[in-house]
Amino acid sequence: MSRRLSWAGLLPALTGGIMVLVLHWLVFFYVPTEAAQGLIQRIFYIHVPAAWVAFMAFGIVALCSAVYLWLGDERLDMAAVSAAEGGMIFTTIVLLTGPLWGRVAWGTWWTWEPRLTFTLLLWFIYLGYFMVRSATESPERGRRFAAVLGIVGAVDIPLIHLSVVWFRSLHPQPVVLKPEGPTLPPEMLLTLMLGFVSFTLLFFGMTHFRYGLERTRIEAAGRESRDGGIEP
Amino acid sequence: MHRKLIRACVPYALVTLLFAGVSAPLGAQDIQTQELGRAYWHVFAAYAIAWVVILGWIVSVARRLARVEARLND
Amino acid sequence: MNYLRQLRAVLWKDLVVELRTRERTISMAGFTVLVAFLFNHALDPARVDVQDVAAGLLWMTIVFAGTLGIGRTFQLESEDGAFHGVLMSPTPKDAIYLGKVGANFVILLLVTLLALAVFGLFFHLQYGERPLVLLLVMALGILGFVAFATLFSAISSGTVMGDTLLPILLFPLLVPMVIYGVSATDRLLAGRPVAEIAGHLRMLAAFALVAVFSGAGLFRFVVEE
Repeated sequence: MSRRLSWAGLLPALTGGIMVLVLHWLVFFYVPTEAAQGLIQRIFYIHVPAAWVAFMAFGIVALCSAVYLWLGDERLDMAAVSAAEGGMIFTTIVLLTGPLWGRVAWGTWWTWEPRLTFTLLLWFIYLGYFMVRSATESPERGRRFAAVLGIVGAVDIPLIHLSVVWFRSLHPQPVVLKPEGPTLPPEMLLTLMLGFVSFTLLFFGMTHFRYGLERTRIEAAGRESRDGGIEP
Repeated sequence: MHRKLIRACVPYALVTLLFAGVSAPLGAQDIQTQELGRAYWHVFAAYAIAWVVILGWIVSVARRLARVEARLND
Repeated sequence: MNYLRQLRAVLWKDLVVELRTRERTISMAGFTVLVAFLFNHALDPARVDVQDVAAGLLWMTIVFAGTLGIGRTFQLESEDGAFHGVLMSPTPKDAIYLGKVGANFVILLLVTLLALAVFGLFFHLQYGERPLVLLLVMALGILGFVAFATLFSAISSGTVMGDTLLPILLFPLLVPMVIYGVSATDRLLAGRPVAEIAGHLRMLAAFALVAVFSGAGLFRFVVEE
């Protein structure tokens, strides 16, 4: 029992969870309504933090993949797949909440504004990552293929981003990462920051558990093959 | 084994749902009295989706872990 | 010099094989012509001026034809364990990769020329006074495409899904090529000055460089046993 619910995972997960609850209170009671968009803008407080986690997760996947290919340590691949799963979860959230926001804010379920486009592509890169892992007969090869994909994805992403942004821009101008500093009113900024922190903690907590799952899985496979069982 | 974990999560989930269920209509009311207020269901759908996806992931990891541990203990 | 010689050997071998069997070239060429034919019937001339969309159609045709053909890059050698023989030779892995990329590039370039001819014929496109610049745009674009496609073809050949996995892995990464390639082609077809597409050419070159270098660096991890 202690192996599964280690404090290294529980602490960020529970802290993140509690902060998410606080976030809800802030979003629905504390933060003022945004002048131009009205109520719908409150989706912003989960949409943007989820996007941040999705992109950060992919950075982790790429980094772990690169070092995995370089050093060959399986634990790096375990970290990569765990981060990838979390990344895909949050990317899915971005892609589902974005259109709900867009439907009201811009009148349409889907727009080709750069960030949604980019996130959709990221979702497919994640999908490819998982498909390639599971479509090989040898799990070792699958891990290597996935690592290559993670690295290529990371390397192409800046180019994708540049091209997509250049191609079309409908998205509201950035309100936080502007060179003059954030122009959000302080309540909104606080809420958004809480969103970032809580989602990040949640991500790391869950990724830790996912890592434990992977490690247990490999242990079980190793034991089975030693006992003359079937290869996973 | 995983039933224990799920059972441990149930009160947590119930509290959360209670909290959400109470605060949502209250919040909606509160927001409706603010200047630009039309209660769009989209906002609540978005938050509900985020909840479902994340809880779904937690349950998925827990279930897979239970399955693998069962294999291990055989 | 030895490295270049080995690279050339792989390139030449692949080209000669293709020259003799012609199977990939013919299927890609046939695909190109037939797709152009279908496009003509898919577009209602009363509502769409084909000239407006020709650049996009052209590029997508080349992407699809290229995916079709390059997916078979490693198929010939996968039979009878021939690829193991190639890998066990002292040729460095990235030379093998670059040789294959070179061969695929030549083949796809020929198909591109055919596509330009067919689309020009079917849709009455004007290639203007600077057809070579257009060719440069196409060549840069397909170089990046071929580099990524060859790497991912090696990956997908190693999976049980085979060729069907290739588009899923490849297409998301092609966005920069499609965006800048189509835009540049569109402008050239519309007779805009070359100076306007300088940025496009730079981005296409960057894309090609990224693709070739990452492919060359990562190929050895894909093929090692």
